[in-house]
Amino acid sequence: VSIRVVGTYLPSWGTRDARAVGTDEDALTIAVECGRAAMVDRNFDVRHVVLVTRDLPLLEGGNSAALLAGLGLSASTGVVEQIGGAPAALDAVFTAAPGTLVIGADCGSGVGCGAAAVLLADGRGIKLTPVARVQRSLPSRARGSDGSVHDYDDPRLTRERGVRAALADAGIARKAVAAVGLGPKDAATLCDGDAPRVPTTGASAPLFALAALADTRAGGLLLAFEQASMTAAEVVPGSTTVRRREREPEPLPKQRVTPGPEIRISLPAYERAFDAKVRLEAGCCPHCGTLALPPRHRCLGCGAEGEAALTELPRDAIVYTTTTVHTPVPGLATPYTIVIVELGDTGVRLLAQVTGAPPGNVGIGTRGEMVLRRVAERSGIPDYGYAFLPESGPRAQVAR
Amino acid sequence: VRRVALVGAGMTAFGEHFDLGIKDLLPMAVTEAVASVDKGFDRADIDAAWFGELTTTDGFPSGILVDSCGLLDVPVTRVENACATGNDALRNAVYGVGSGMLDVALVIGADKVRESSARGTFWEWMGLTRDMAWDYPIGVVAPANFALHVNRYLHESSATREHLAMVAVKNHHHGVTNPKAQLRHEITIEQVLDAPMVVEPFGLYDCTPQSDGAAALLVVGEEIVDRYTDRPVWVRGVGLGLDRVMHQHKADMTTFPPTVKAAMQAYAMAGVGPADIDVAEVHDCFTGVELIDYEDLGFCERFGAAALIESGETAVGGRLPVNPSGGLKSKGHPPGATGIAQCVELFEQLRGESTNQVDRARLALAHNIGGPTAVSAVTILGSAKG
Repeated sequence: VSIRVVGTYLPSWGTRDARAVGTDEDALTIAVECGRAAMVDRNFDVRHVVLVTRDLPLLEGGNSAALLAGLGLSASTGVVEQIGGAPAALDAVFTAAPGTLVIGADCGSGVGCGAAAVLLADGRGIKLTPVARVQRSLPSRARGSDGSVHDYDDPRLTRERGVRAALADAGIARKAVAAVGLGPKDAATLCDGDAPRVPTTGASAPLFALAALADTRAGGLLLAFEQASMTAAEVVPGSTTVRRREREPEPLPKQRVTPGPEIRISLPAYERAFDAKVRLEAGCCPHCGTLALPPRHRCLGCGAEGEAALTELPRDAIVYTTTTVHTPVPGLATPYTIVIVELGDTGVRLLAQVTGAPPGNVGIGTRGEMVLRRVAERSGIPDYGYAFLPESGPRAQVAR
Repeated sequence: VRRVALVGAGMTAFGEHFDLGIKDLLPMAVTEAVASVDKGFDRADIDAAWFGELTTTDGFPSGILVDSCGLLDVPVTRVENACATGNDALRNAVYGVGSGMLDVALVIGADKVRESSARGTFWEWMGLTRDMAWDYPIGVVAPANFALHVNRYLHESSATREHLAMVAVKNHHHGVTNPKAQLRHEITIEQVLDAPMVVEPFGLYDCTPQSDGAAALLVVGEEIVDRYTDRPVWVRGVGLGLDRVMHQHKADMTTFPPTVKAAMQAYAMAGVGPADIDVAEVHDCFTGVELIDYEDLGFCERFGAAALIESGETAVGGRLPVNPSGGLKSKGHPPGATGIAQCVELFEQLRGESTNQVDRARLALAHNIGGPTAVSAVTILGSAKG
């Protein structure tokens, strides 16, 4: 099995060294961002998805459907929702079958913010062979049953009884081509020459490293650490495409959150809207072809009634009208910008919030694209839908 | 069709009535309406009532009306049609009395917006107007609902924020003499432009205040008008227009099609046109909305509203005074009562009794646009039977 494509995503906020997710992002939305980047050419049949993260939004269920809908994959695609960090993600890559998309997503405290996905298929891409696995316990960070984070905060202990002990257990003495799950200094001491610097230390880290190795065509030992556990793999260089969605970061805008009542949700309404809303698909009238978003029983064009098949909508969008809300709204972060956009040349419009740009930064005629975001959290339920990401203008996307 | 007239009209002051409940405001408005009837009025004459209320306060609205006003034997229909509620309640009463099935109807509207916290009303209102799955969580609060229209309007027309400010300045000036108005003070263009931004392009002074209040009308059939007054105000036309509910389905957001539809119905019923109107009370919940109303009601051509407000013709003393009461902007906006209160003002204008009297006012128009900008009601009143 070889790695044919690596897709990466970094949120628009923060600094180059410390990215931050927006208030409308979570592990699932950033997983979708990098997964779509990996699948942008649509040359591969994806039959399985493995999502590795320690920040699953819906622990009691519901992530997989939203993940597949956001990725535009069939609801019959196999999904593994795996709690794990860097070793688990690397493990998932070399144990996966062809046709698998492995995603690592990080947005928790202490591991940085970013997501990366690798698409596995037969071919001439980078190949990985397992070298060693070590599972040891040194919980230098723990989450209590109430979700509160406890840090032991002893870097030397982690270095000596975590990293070095794991390497000794595995009998690894040689230098690596990349080491992740550690601070940059610790990583550098384990590597030869210019080890790639990656933006995260969690599940996405080994996948970011693979993107860097694909760019440089370097091979060798790849080490992925989490606390005192480690997975090591041998990287055999190959022809792997890298698709990055990494904008130049800007500071998180100053917003205020006014306490307020829970935003209520109707689960029947959520469930009825789900496919069209999370896949961004319109109802298409079987009689006259008129598109409707949301889909509707009675056609806007010809008045025909009945269930219309869903059809994918273009994601390029142009602003028809906009406003920015400054007055405090309970339960929402203000100011925020609302737009009504037109999608491609379909004539279909969508009402959405703006994401990835400071409030007030768009005007009528601004171009951009629709991206999956957690539009709101309603009575504890992440409400996924689409937000408008304006073109970054002079801050052009870093593309390779 | 049987002709229908107003023989009495009254209202409470609009404002933050923290000290008065809906059960206080309703009887106050009824009593003032009854007191305004020239030859006296026995409330036992009321055959039926229509009660406009957007959100219920203190429970079951129809029952609260009869219970609080000494009308236990009167059948009541509650009307809820977003901001068009008041004029729609009147429209229904006109149909009832006009049919001959009833002789005397009470039309009353009331709301207590300030019964909720100032910001709590945002979510209540969005719950009334937005699709629960698609639009509710986006945060299209009431000013944003109209700002999406007005920003597009400013983009396509020659109007500017200064023109919006002129509406606020005019309506505040009109409201100064109105004892029922909530905001009775003059403001300047600079104050409007410099005020804190609420929702772009609306600053604080571009927005209606949040209000409590009630207003009432007494509607009677033509054969019995003489029993109550020699100076009736005739209901010449009514209309109600609707549109697609979701903003993303409105092809042209520089106009409110419901207003155009409602106005066409009312003009046709009255047999008059916009040029015949002497005075109007129009929906100005946010300043820019009044400009769009001018065009939708036919007071000027498309994108001619900036020139019209600039000309001063819509101020009292001009060719077509608009919102002599102060409008929603100065007088206040308890939605269920708003349309009725417009008719209370026009009742007084057409009888020459307004505190801000328009000369030679013979034909008057009241207008609301609201909800998710998907419903409008228009009423045309006249001093002549027509």
